[in-house]
Amino acid sequence: MELKEKLKILADSAKYDVSCSSSGSKRKGDLGNTSFSGICHSFSADGRCISLLKILLTNCCIYDCKYCLNRQSNNIKRVIFTPEEICYITINFYKRNYIEGLFLSSGIIKSPDYTMNLIIETITLLRRKYHFGGYIHAKAIPGCSEYLVKKLGLLVDRLSANIELPTEKGIKLLAPNKNFGNTEKIMGYVKNNKSNKFVPAGQSTQMIIGATHESDLDIMQKSENMYNNFKLKRVFYSAYIPVNKDNLLPTFEKPPLIREHRLYQADWLLRYYGFKTNDLLDDQHVNFNLLIDPKANWALNHLQEFPKDINKCSYYDLLKVPGIGVTSAKRIMKSRQHFQITFKDLKNMGVVLKRAKYFITCSGKYFIDKTFFNKNFIEANLVLEDKQKSNPSRKQLSFFNE
Amino acid sequence: MNNIYLYQDDFISLLNLINYLIKNKIKPDNIKPLSYCPTLLDEVINLKIEPTNNVIDFIIKIGNNKIFNIIYYVFLSDNENKELIIYYFYLNLLKYQTNIIYMRNLRCVTKALKIAKYVGNEAHRLKGFVRFQKLEHDIYYAEIAPNNNVLFLVSKHFKRRLKNEYWLIKDVKRKILSIYDKKDFYLIDEDNFQINDLKVAQEENDIKNMWKEFYDTIAIKERHNERCRMNFMPKKYWKYIIEMSDE
Ligand code: SF4
Repeated sequence: MELKEKLKILADSAKYDVSCSSSGSKRKGDLGNTSFSGICHSFSADGRCISLLKILLTNCCIYDCKYCLNRQSNNIKRVIFTPEEICYITINFYKRNYIEGLFLSSGIIKSPDYTMNLIIETITLLRRKYHFGGYIHAKAIPGCSEYLVKKLGLLVDRLSANIELPTEKGIKLLAPNKNFGNTEKIMGYVKNNKSNKFVPAGQSTQMIIGATHESDLDIMQKSENMYNNFKLKRVFYSAYIPVNKDNLLPTFEKPPLIREHRLYQADWLLRYYGFKTNDLLDDQHVNFNLLIDPKANWALNHLQEFPKDINKCSYYDLLKVPGIGVTSAKRIMKSRQHFQITFKDLKNMGVVLKRAKYFITCSGKYFIDKTFFNKNFIEANLVLEDKQKSNPSRKQLSFFNE
Repeated sequence: MNNIYLYQDDFISLLNLINYLIKNKIKPDNIKPLSYCPTLLDEVINLKIEPTNNVIDFIIKIGNNKIFNIIYYVFLSDNENKELIIYYFYLNLLKYQTNIIYMRNLRCVTKALKIAKYVGNEAHRLKGFVRFQKLEHDIYYAEIAPNNNVLFLVSKHFKRRLKNEYWLIKDVKRKILSIYDKKDFYLIDEDNFQINDLKVAQEENDIKNMWKEFYDTIAIKERHNERCRMNFMPKKYWKYIIEMSDE
């Protein structure tokens, strides 16, 4: 078989893993280095960043996860890369600046340990024989021996294991051969051993959204719990795309992209804005409002805490304002030591004024008559704003409304 | 009449001129490189100031490296009024020193920061979008046509990344080449270098096709989103990105 054809098959099966980042590592080699902030080399037709050669080592698998193209019971063409083939493609792509490095995952062939050994052999070859200093993100195979995780972790920049679903019940239903605990065991090991030499760029994981009935609350609680317990760099959310027919799986025409988007927004709020899952969702509201982003939704439900005065309120108060991010909040804190900030200045600080203006005053002044400061007015305007927004979510929003 | 002060096209000369103007309390209507074509309303003045590096040390002393970089990035930009923006930025730098970057109520500051960011973003984007072709004799060759003059910044990146390869990057718009000899890179005028007789390496087509195959495969069709792709990878770059150049 031609190498190109193999590449097509093994990239096709790897593409549902959404992690693409190439940041967080400071590595140098005879060939290549990593960029601490990460670099996107291209963007695919779905608008996702391409930074790594994302492939599986093989699409053979002894497991039968319901949602997966490579499950044992699917009748598809099975192929496997040799370690030299992977090195050849990686090095040649890298030297032409197509990619930032390699993302290597795999179906489980023979056993977790056997598969891990193949992955380790490949990456050892890349690092030792070809002196490759670019970025490598490898997937650890849950259920493998601990010493193999250790070995692989010393070769790569990022090591991760996908949790796939937020609850054990979900895993039992859709991935009957998998063991929830095995994935967390890898995460625990990586967390305890992380250093400049071992998995320097940290670990991440991924959850599939919408393949089971688990709620956003289930998902966010799991994320929060993993951030706290395993110091994950990122949790990725991947809207489920029906690749198999199975009566255990939902059928829908379009993947739940808005829901995915809301989860990413909420995830940011957990990581950078000091929010907790319980601030955003509770037993009465187990799913996010699809019409309004989680931060604005929170602000509308806590309107008694607003408006915040830009020239007086604390840093943490600024972060609570929709339309103000971490960078702009810091800028405001610095700038207001030198002058009184007006609405006009805020635009120059990266604040999204068309969202923020409803929730702030500048030296006591509201942007229009203060009698408009009420929930109905603000909510209606925010929703309208979102609908008009000429960004990618517009299409998603409108299909949801139909 | 408009008083237009001229500098010798390069960054150091510009800084020296601005420094001189400010010291002598001269307020220029504009500042332009020697190549500038004056209009009937222009009075061009060429002071022929001897450039020294002291002014760089001075900027870093009253400001810091970050502030110096902002000024440098503005200089690299394609903005028509960049010299005047630098003049006013410099003027305010003397007053506010390191605090200048927080003075976002001043037009010259917000402008300079915006332009510097635009230049920095383009340089960063190109670190990803540059596509090398392998030529005979193991030479890697790429062409770019950026809006801003970022060849130097891009070359700095590849000096570290592809340090054991010979490479060339050509800025097609400005007709400059960056040539790397496994030790350092040099920026030279296109006219002073012949590359026409270099042929593409034998395996080049196979690798290119594999990459295109990968590129087409990795997209999830259920998530197709053209607008999003264009946002991140504007069309103006497509010509030199091989997976896009046939689209
Ligand atoms: S283990 Fe499950 S998810 Fe992974 S390749 Fe095999 S079937 Fe697919």
